Amino acid sequence: MVGIVQEQHPDRARLFMQWKQMDWPILVDSLNLLGVSVVPITVAIDEHGVVRAINPRKETIERDFLSKTYEPPASSAAIPVEPRPAVGRPPGRRAPAGAWRKYGEDLLLWGGGTAIDKAVDAFERAARGAADGAIAFRLGVAHRARYDSPRRRPGDFRRAVERWEQALALDPNQYIWRRRIQQYGPRLDKPYPFYDWIPEARAAIVARGASPVTLAVEPGGAEFARPVKTFEARTPTNDEPDPKGRIRRDRGQFIEIEALTVPVGIAPGTATRAHLVMRPNVAKKAHWNNEAEDLVVWVKPPEGWQVDAQYITVARPKEVVSQETRRVEFELRSPADAPAGRVIIPVYALYYVCEDVDGTCVYRRQDVALDVHVRR
Amino acid sequence: MYLFPAAAAMLAAGVAVMGSGQPAARPPGPFEVGRPFPLFALPDAANGKARSIAEFRGRKIILHVFASW
Repeated sequence: MVGIVQEQHPDRARLFMQWKQMDWPILVDSLNLLGVSVVPITVAIDEHGVVRAINPRKETIERDFLSKTYEPPASSAAIPVEPRPAVGRPPGRRAPAGAWRKYGEDLLLWGGGTAIDKAVDAFERAARGAADGAIAFRLGVAHRARYDSPRRRPGDFRRAVERWEQALALDPNQYIWRRRIQQYGPRLDKPYPFYDWIPEARAAIVARGASPVTLAVEPGGAEFARPVKTFEARTPTNDEPDPKGRIRRDRGQFIEIEALTVPVGIAPGTATRAHLVMRPNVAKKAHWNNEAEDLVVWVKPPEGWQVDAQYITVARPKEVVSQETRRVEFELRSPADAPAGRVIIPVYALYYVCEDVDGTCVYRRQDVALDVHVRR
Repeated sequence: MYLFPAAAAMLAAGVAVMGSGQPAARPPGPFEVGRPFPLFALPDAANGKARSIAEFRGRKIILHVFASW
């Protein structure tokens, strides 16, 4: 038994293996190099590396596959040579898209964490040379991998989603690519909760007396969210906290906010999930001040748009000050008659923040423009 | 989540349970019966080291392609 798992985050596969006590080899195909469009798939491969059945029936696999002895292929040239993973030299300027794609794949898989910038660049060069869904998907994977790394750049998450949307537009039957968007997308689009097994897995591993595999990136709200069949619009019970805009603005000096919706492009009458990721500015040594009130986010949906939470708070940690990343997610639904075009959803956050430990502490508002594209 | 039913059953019954996959109007991947399985190196989930299906040559393989979401 050998497994190949389609997973952006290899450590989540490791946690799953630990939970299920899998002792067979599992390879991680974060880039979908295998090119499968659906899962699960079972492939029976003979002793010469030749495929003998795809999704064989359990009732007949012993008779039809396991008990047989197969002859080697007539031509030894038909058997591919075992690949050797390595990062070669960069392709030349005029190299075809495929050469840049392969270079990007090698950099991302085998180049180490510092190669990720070059991997993104290689995939971008490949994407410029061909309208190819696989290249667009892999460029999205590279952006998301960089977003999850210390080398994160502003806009990486959004660019990942945009590239996955581009890939899916080129091949709408590619369910692996579709799931990558749904993982972060709205509940109306979800086929199931993606990572609700993680708390159960951790509890079971701890009960066995072991320590669960540590995840480099904890799944966020969208990745746990359960599907819904109808949009759950809610009217806030709180009044708008700063209707006249009197609170002094933070333009990123204290808190850096990355905001996007998943998907970025939606059809009229459909939903999207907003992600606000808020990080204290490291250069300013900024930190949250937890002595006063909770962080508040207020959403101002345009006429006809629905929102599932308009007044959102983020609970404070017990510590007086902290520097954690804070995340807020909510969902929006466009009107059924929404015209095609770009729509800006105004949002603002209110928070207490300090410039440095024992430094100046202030109450600030930061305005965010969520950019959604309605496509007919 | 696609993994659970197939993998759990496989673990309980050895290799006997085969996932049927989703109905697909086209082949599920770039491999077909009678042709060599495509070879390329991928990181081992356990330690990140490069591995390939090629290293299992000489033995029959039941390969399960799945997702952990």
